[in-house]
Formats: sequence, structure tokens, C-alpha cells
Amino acid sequence: MSDEYENKSGYQAQSSETISGDSPGISPDMDYVRPAENAEQDLYHPHSFIEKWVFCQDAKVIGVQYFLTAVFTGVVGLILSWLMRLQLGFPGLAGFITAEHYYQFVTMHGMIMVVYFLTALFLGGFGNYLIPLMVGARDMVFPYVNMLSFWMFFVAVAVLMASFFVPGGPTGAGWTLYPPQTILEGTPGHGYGILLMLISLALFVIGFTMGGLNYMITILQARTRGMTLMRMPLTVWGIFTATVLAMLAFPALLVSSIMMTLDKLLGTSFFMPTILKAGEVLEYGGGSPILFQHLFWFFGHPEVYIVALPAFGIVSDLISVHARKNIFGYRMMVWAIVGIGALSFFVWAHHMYVSGMNPWFGFFFASTTLIIAVPTAMKVYNWILTLWRGNIRINTVMLWCLGFIVTFVNGGITGIFLGNVSVDVPLSDTYFVVAHFHMVMGIAPLMVIMGAIYHWFPLVAGKMLNEKLGKWHFWTTFLGAYSIYFPMHYLGFIGVPRRYYEMYDSPYMTSGVGLNEFISTAAFIVGAAQLILVFNIIKTLKTGKKAEQNPWKANSLEWFTSTVPPEHGNFGDRLPVVHRWPYDFNVPGADEDYLPQTAAPSEVAHTEVEKT
Amino acid sequence: MSSLLKRIFGTIIEKPWEPERAQVDDAHSGQTFDLSVQKSAVIIIFGIATVLFSLIFTGYIYSVPPEQDTKYLLKPNLLWINTFVLFCISFYFSKVNKGLKRSEVIYVKKNLLMIGGLSYLFLFGQVAFWIQLMKSGNFVQTNNYFSSFYIFTALHGIHLLGGLFFWGKVASRVLKIKNEKILEEEKNISALSMYWTFLLVVWLAFFLMIYVFNDAFIEWCKTLVA
Repeated sequence: MSDEYENKSGYQAQSSETISGDSPGISPDMDYVRPAENAEQDLYHPHSFIEKWVFCQDAKVIGVQYFLTAVFTGVVGLILSWLMRLQLGFPGLAGFITAEHYYQFVTMHGMIMVVYFLTALFLGGFGNYLIPLMVGARDMVFPYVNMLSFWMFFVAVAVLMASFFVPGGPTGAGWTLYPPQTILEGTPGHGYGILLMLISLALFVIGFTMGGLNYMITILQARTRGMTLMRMPLTVWGIFTATVLAMLAFPALLVSSIMMTLDKLLGTSFFMPTILKAGEVLEYGGGSPILFQHLFWFFGHPEVYIVALPAFGIVSDLISVHARKNIFGYRMMVWAIVGIGALSFFVWAHHMYVSGMNPWFGFFFASTTLIIAVPTAMKVYNWILTLWRGNIRINTVMLWCLGFIVTFVNGGITGIFLGNVSVDVPLSDTYFVVAHFHMVMGIAPLMVIMGAIYHWFPLVAGKMLNEKLGKWHFWTTFLGAYSIYFPMHYLGFIGVPRRYYEMYDSPYMTSGVGLNEFISTAAFIVGAAQLILVFNIIKTLKTGKKAEQNPWKANSLEWFTSTVPPEHGNFGDRLPVVHRWPYDFNVPGADEDYLPQTAAPSEVAHTEVEKT
Repeated sequence: MSSLLKRIFGTIIEKPWEPERAQVDDAHSGQTFDLSVQKSAVIIIFGIATVLFSLIFTGYIYSVPPEQDTKYLLKPNLLWINTFVLFCISFYFSKVNKGLKRSEVIYVKKNLLMIGGLSYLFLFGQVAFWIQLMKSGNFVQTNNYFSSFYIFTALHGIHLLGGLFFWGKVASRVLKIKNEKILEEEKNISALSMYWTFLLVVWLAFFLMIYVFNDAFIEWCKTLVA
């Protein structure tokens, strides 16, 4: 391995608590930089409009393409949720929403939001845009494969959307696609709908694997000089670990998709037991539906962290920059990200407590689920301690970050409830579960996405988004989201089941009717409030204030490109050389309250770095 | 492995904010492992493929009831010959690698062509075996043993086809250049070699567990579960 640190400059380690840059021991060649060992990357520069904006190999353009496609699917998911809430809040008001349609909306909403929106947005969108910039690379290591990755994703989305227009419509089996009912008559979309869903998922996994290969190798092997792993921003750590998880978890989704496709098309019985239908034995037999559940959740639970870890990383950087303080416990944050990633593969069966399992398994998975709360809580403490005595700027970005912390804690705590078998069993399949996972992996990561949009928009577009509109956007979304999901916890406690088209004359309706109307109204408002962001973006692009370079006074490399927005190749003639971690804020003795990662020791020789 | 773990844990306990650490870090090249990006890609693909094939094995163990053992299959047969072909490919790869190490590139082109030809022969043999199976009335939906058998061999075949795509790219480049320039392609060729070694390992695991020692393997799984 070449990761050996060669102390070529002959510096001696010092042990004083506070070390001054001009203290004894610092040799005159303090700006020593290792000579470049790797050849410059050959970039394929576009020659036409199509090569520049359609079949482009620049990771930044690919990132924007991923982002826009994911947002498109997100809007479809949002509209589906409106239709669901319309039915739940005001049953029968929209006559076209039949029970079959309702189940199709539920299924497509779930799958779209988890896989095609959040995963694609964080890893494909932010990953592509930020990885090369933050690690100081010109592009991803395999730009052509990276381009293929996006187009594979695009085709996957097209196939998924096509299922709305085929006979029978999209699948209505629930986003978990549990067999055997998924592919049997009686379930909406059991014909073409489920087939298109499975094909789309397989394409998504293949496409993502191409992208993930790029993210991992670029981060591990193509960083700029001086950029050690422990000098990387936590955003990169989060995206990196999430990519590793995805590379290990998505094969389970691929395998189960292929097997179920074969069950559907060729009559195999991987997941199909012997089935009696109207007195007749079907040709299936010998398979196990529980096997599918294991495979699905072996993918499904790490998927939660595939979404959450990039959000953790991004929010850490946003909090540090906008509180003007180094991230508290950087190493612990890295350990927590890696630890959560590793543990996430040992908790999957907590989604299956009601499927029936050996009690010792239940005990094991409940224990691991509770253990994973430890590194997660460490992160929350560290975010709060980063804010503690920071020079906090209460701008739109910070508001989204604070909103995230509160929401994540809320959703996390209800997760501890549900991790316990004895509490989970009565709450299983109720609105408590819906409220929990929407808080923890819906609203919380969405808040980070919003914060990240306001933070990095000046880099991508070269203009500053309007702060006033941003604050309106935040408060409507924040208060609206709580209006939706807080009452859902109560609905769950009184036993209202999820996935029901209508409550009919059940006893739940006494206290549930008013709440459901309230929740639905809030959902309509929150959804519509997202138009504030759309308006803000359009207005800013047309008449917005031009962004100066590095408007937030951040330290990480993406703000030190040769042009804003960055051009293909990112850094002009010479790649940046890194001399410090990205969290040197308010360093005693420094002229400014930040020290860019590229600031050489000689430039800041009079500063003092406090040990933490 | 232990050095890798030491490296990982050594890395994540660094304190990047300390000036003395910063001075050491400034001399870092930015590369984590002393590997080409091609080899890194192959290793990552190994990881993904290992998970994929392990899950299929797990599914097989989970769903194959005892009465579906290998009584359906005659041994020995074409599958043994196909396995031998895979061994031959590895033999030719080892010759290529040895040649590159000693800078003796005279047989590299010929050996690369042999590797491609044998790989296609393997695929042809697998398809022929499928046809034999189907002629004997054993289809993919016959029972879970054959479902697993077909899906595994199909995925392994697709995996090999993916390798052949890159083999085509590398081989076409190598065939065009003069012998003395072949050493410049060493990174790509050794990445290919790693890929084929992995294909052989996966095939052997499958061949031994699901085919050669299938009955014993099922018995062992049952005792494990018991």
C-alpha cells in the first residue's frame, strides 16, 4: 500500500497542548508538498451540445442530471401522496380513487421516494457533484461508465413510469413487494405492473453499481496531494460509506428481483409455496415467501442508512460552516458513520417481527437495533456540541440543519420503541410506524437536501438564493411536516392500521376522522409550499444576486475552483494541494475566521491551533 | 488482512487537526492503496459478485427440500469438461502473467487469444449442458434445485460475458500494438487475470457445493440448522 506517510520533510512530532506555527521544530520548508506521482487524468471534453448536456462525461453535469431526474420522480411521489391523503382525509371525494388505485399509489409512492428519489438524489446527485470537487480530483475515475450509470438510471425511471400506462396499471402490492400475493391474481398490477417494477429495479441496481464503482475508487485512489482520508469532509465520508453499503445491499434487491421475475414469467417457485386457489392447487410449490422477506430487508434496512449517512455527512459540514466552528469530535463522527454502516447489516429482521421467527432471533435483532442507536446518538450530541458556543448564523441553511436535528431525534426515538419486539408487535402495521419512518428517513433527510440546496446553489449556479423566500419555505415545510406526522403517532397508538383504503365504521373513526382531515390538509399545504423553492430558483436564476466565490467562507475544496460555477476539470491548470482538514474555523491568530484546506503553513505561520 | 485492518484502524485514529499530524499528512500522495484504478474496480466487482452469489447460495440452502437432491443429474458429464476448460483459462493467464513479469511478451498475444477462445468454449459448453438437461425433461420450473442451478449458471455466464467484453477491448488493443509496447498494457491484463481467477473460484464453489458434493452439502446444512 502506498498510504505510508513519508515524513520527507523531516518534521518532528510535538507534544505541547497548543502549538504555535512559528514555534521551534517547524523547519523552513514548512510548505513541503509531495511531488505528483500520478499522471494527469485525460478528460474527454464535449464537442457538441449533446455531448455537453445530454451524453456528458463531466461528473458535475451528471450530478445535475441525476438531481433533476430524481426530483421529477419525487414530484410524482408527492402527487401520489396527495391522492392518498385525499382518500384518507376525505373518503369518496375523488371518485376515481378506487381501492385498487389506492394500493397502487401507496406502492409507487413508497418505492419512488425511497429508491428513485432519495437514494438517487443523495448518491447520484450530491455524490457526483461533490466527490471530485471535495477530494480535489478533475473528474470521476471512469467518466464514461459514470455517464452510462446515469442513463441506466434514466431508463430505470422510464420503465417504472411506463407501468402507469400498461394494462392493469402499476403494481399495488405495497413497496415491500411481498410474495406470493404480489404476482398472483387479485393484486392490482400483478401482470405488467409488477414485471416493469422488477425490471426497473434491476436496471437501477446495475446503473447504481456503475456509479458506485466510480464514487468508491475516486475517493480511495484519486484524491489530490495532501488529502488524507481523515482530512476529507464528512460529506465525503457519508457518501463513501453509503456507497459501500449500497454495493453490498443492492445485490440482495437484484437477486430477489430476478428470482421473482422468474417466478412470474417462467413458473419457478423460489418464493412461492404450494397454493390452493378456489379449491385448485396452483403449479407453484416448494418455495419460501419468508426467504423473499429476508432478502428484501437485507437490502431494505441498509437502504435506510444509504439515505441517512450522506445526510449525516452533509449536515455535519453545513452546521460547521454556518456555526463557524470546527465539527465537534471529527474522529467520532467518522467512527460513527463507519460503525452505523457496519451494524446496519445486522438489524434487518426487526422489520419481520410479525413474520414469525425464533424468539432468540427476535432477541438478537432487537439488541443490534438498540446498539445502533449508540453511534447515532453520538452524532446528535456532536452536532449539538458543534453548535454550542459557535458563532451561529441563523440563515436558511442553518434553519434546515436545526430542523433536521429535531426531526431526526424525534424519528430516532420512536425507532427505539419499534426496535423492541414487545412494543413493535402491537404497533406493527399501524400509523405509528408510518409516522416513525417518515420522520426519520423522509422528512429528516429531506431537510438536509433542502439545506444542501441553499448551501451549494451559489456554487452550481453562481447566484445566491433569496433568504426571505428560503425562510418562508423552511417554516411552512417544518411546521407543516410536524402537523402531518405528529398526529399520526396518536393514530397509531389508538390502533389505526396502515395501508387501509378506508376505515369504514370501525371504532378508530371516532377520533380519527378529524385528525385525518387535518393531516390531509397539512399535506396539501406542505406539498404546495415546495413551489416557494421552485419560484425562488427561477427568480434567482433570472434576477438573483451574483454569488462571490466562496460566499459562506467555507474551507473545503469545492469552493476553490478556478471558476464559479466550476468548469470541466474543476481546478484549472493545477490541482489544489491540501494542507489541513476542512474545519479550521475561528483559529486563534488567523486574519479571517476560516482557513481554507489549501492554505499553506507559511501563510498562517502566526496562528495557533488548539487541540480538541 | 491483518495489515489491512491495521491500516484501516490506524487511519481512523489520526488527528488531522494537530500541527504535527498535519506536517506528516502534507506528504501524502492522495492514493490509499498501491493499486491501479482498473485493479481497484475488479476488486470492488469481486465484492459485489461475492455478495450476489452468496445470497443465491443462501436462497438455495433455504428453499431446497431434502427430496430435491442431485439424483436428477448424471455424473460425470459435460459439466466436468467445462470446469476443466476454466482451469485451462487460468493456466493460460498464469503464462501471460509470468511472461509480463519477465518482460517476455512474445506469447502474450497468442495466449490472450487462447483465453478468449476457451472462454467462449466454456459458454458454449454451458449452453450445451442446458440443452442436455432440458432434453432430459429438467426445466427451470421443474423444482427448486433446477431453478437454482439454471439461475446460478446463467448469472455466472453473464458475469463471464461481462469479462469477455473487457477482454475484447484489451485484446483488440494488444493485438494492434507491437510486442515491445505490450508491457504498457500490464495493468489492464493483470486486472483481467484477477477477474478470471475470481470466476474460477466462484465456479468451483458452486460446482462443489451444488453439484459434486450436493448430497453431503445438504446433509451438512441440515445438521447446521438442527
